[in-house]
Amino acid sequence: MSDRFIPRLLQTPAVILLLIWMLVPLSMTLFFSFIRYALNNLRRPEWTTPDIANWRGFGNYNYVLNNKDFWFAIQNSVLIVVSILVITVILGLAIAVLINRSFPGRGIVRVLLISPFFVMPAVNAVLWINMILDPVLGLNGVAVGAINDMVAGLKDFPVLGGFFALWPELEPISFRATQTSAYAVIMMVAWQWTPFAVLIFMTSLQSEDESQKEAATLDGAGAWSQFINLTVPHLARPIAIVVMIQSIFHLSLYAEIEIVSRGNGNKNLPYLIGEFSSNNIGAASATGIFAVILANIIAIFLLRMVGKSLMD
Amino acid sequence: MAAVTERSRFGEILWPVVAWIVALIFFFPIFWMVFTSFKTDADAVKPEHLFFFTPTLENYANMTENYDYWRFAINSVITSTFATLFALAVGVPCAYAMAFNPSRHTKDILMWMLSTKMLPAAAVLYPMTFLTKNFLGIYDTHFLVILVLCLINLPIAIWMLFTYFKEIPKEIIEASKMDGVTTWGEIKDILIPLAWGGVASTALLTFIFCWNEAYWTVRLTTVDAATLSKLIEGNRAPEGLFFGRLSAVSTAAVGPIIVLGWFCQKQLVQGLTFGAVK
Repeated sequence: MSDRFIPRLLQTPAVILLLIWMLVPLSMTLFFSFIRYALNNLRRPEWTTPDIANWRGFGNYNYVLNNKDFWFAIQNSVLIVVSILVITVILGLAIAVLINRSFPGRGIVRVLLISPFFVMPAVNAVLWINMILDPVLGLNGVAVGAINDMVAGLKDFPVLGGFFALWPELEPISFRATQTSAYAVIMMVAWQWTPFAVLIFMTSLQSEDESQKEAATLDGAGAWSQFINLTVPHLARPIAIVVMIQSIFHLSLYAEIEIVSRGNGNKNLPYLIGEFSSNNIGAASATGIFAVILANIIAIFLLRMVGKSLMD
Repeated sequence: MAAVTERSRFGEILWPVVAWIVALIFFFPIFWMVFTSFKTDADAVKPEHLFFFTPTLENYANMTENYDYWRFAINSVITSTFATLFALAVGVPCAYAMAFNPSRHTKDILMWMLSTKMLPAAAVLYPMTFLTKNFLGIYDTHFLVILVLCLINLPIAIWMLFTYFKEIPKEIIEASKMDGVTTWGEIKDILIPLAWGGVASTALLTFIFCWNEAYWTVRLTTVDAATLSKLIEGNRAPEGLFFGRLSAVSTAAVGPIIVLGWFCQKQLVQGLTFGAVK
């Protein structure tokens, strides 16, 4: 009896807190998604208070489903999350292998490499979009300008000049358009989260069975085939964990999108909800419910992947 | 045979060079931010002053005088510290019970906890603002920020602690039970000393996530409990005009946490496995 009682008691505070944290706002969102509810509406002031009398049924859901922004936002959410995952896992693996052997200054290299992970997302976005990617004032613009100047200077050269005269003037890429700003978001988030992948892979690499590798070397297996046949399978679980934790964070990506893409049409699902909730709470809540459903589908899939081996 | 030694000697030189280049590329944006923070706003956008300029502390002076940096910084320290402590106070007992007395439902509870983290914050922002402002009256208080930061990080903290505790042999805990040690004594005197690496690394990661949180802290505060993410929010607005000022504020916001991260890097690496290492 007391055997079971104390463990349950110890889990209770965490479970209750998270239950309240999940259920209270979620049930309110659910309610708002079924009523007409706007923050400002001069013609129909009764819609500005959340009231059951303003019942709209599935009207808000219909409105959202017929909104082309909604489908674009879903597509973009998936694009952003998947791209970040692919980039961070591949880069993370490469870098983890790179710093897994000892060389002079390895400690400093490690410290430099993990630093981006500590940067606040809001600072990350402000830093990248202004100082690095800005097509005029950022390093992007400055670098392209410098290349153009250099090419222009080389045109006066006797023989090679003719070749450089054919060279087109380069245009810096602007990362403030709808699609390019999605790439900017992918770039900056991948920069921040690659160190996380490196940290996890690095710890796992250290636990790799060296004797197995030695045996493989004796059998004449090359470095690449050892990596594919021994290291990658060994890293299957850490890869699953990196994918899962990152999905949790990137599905609700917001600060980066807001700073990089304010008003230019690039959006993911959370950002679309934010746009709706500046006035139309009903539509925002319906979108929120769709986002919860989407998150749960992905969660079930991911948790299966990791959960299976969690308990043994 | 000669070819092999040739290649490995070549690799011996090339390998660290590549590693160093990659590390410098990754660190470059942070370096650039700190570097730009010593330029005036005018110098920061002139290509001729890209590398050569007269360094100035003007931006930092301006920041502490006009933007009240210290108030935001102190709020960040207070909220992140207490949120981390609460998350551990709730999380350690929970993870302990899950690791040493698992029941049929333990895995499901753990997975459910993690899934709460996937709920999009934007979907519940409006109800949260409504509730805290109109019913509870705790909008823009330290209490609210601490509570929210604690709750959003609790699932990850519990998972990290659980995976760490699970590696501790059950026999050690059971032996102490025979000796009549209380549950609290078990946690305090046996579990925490044994799993110190995991607890420290969980605390560190939770603290980092709290410090960097920018959704709730920006939207549930106005003045009193505003943290450094709110300071960034207020300063980021006009595009490309105030690079110097922007860099100084950014450096001051992320500086403390980066330095903390550097010092505790070993601790963090040690515990940050999420059960990935078997």
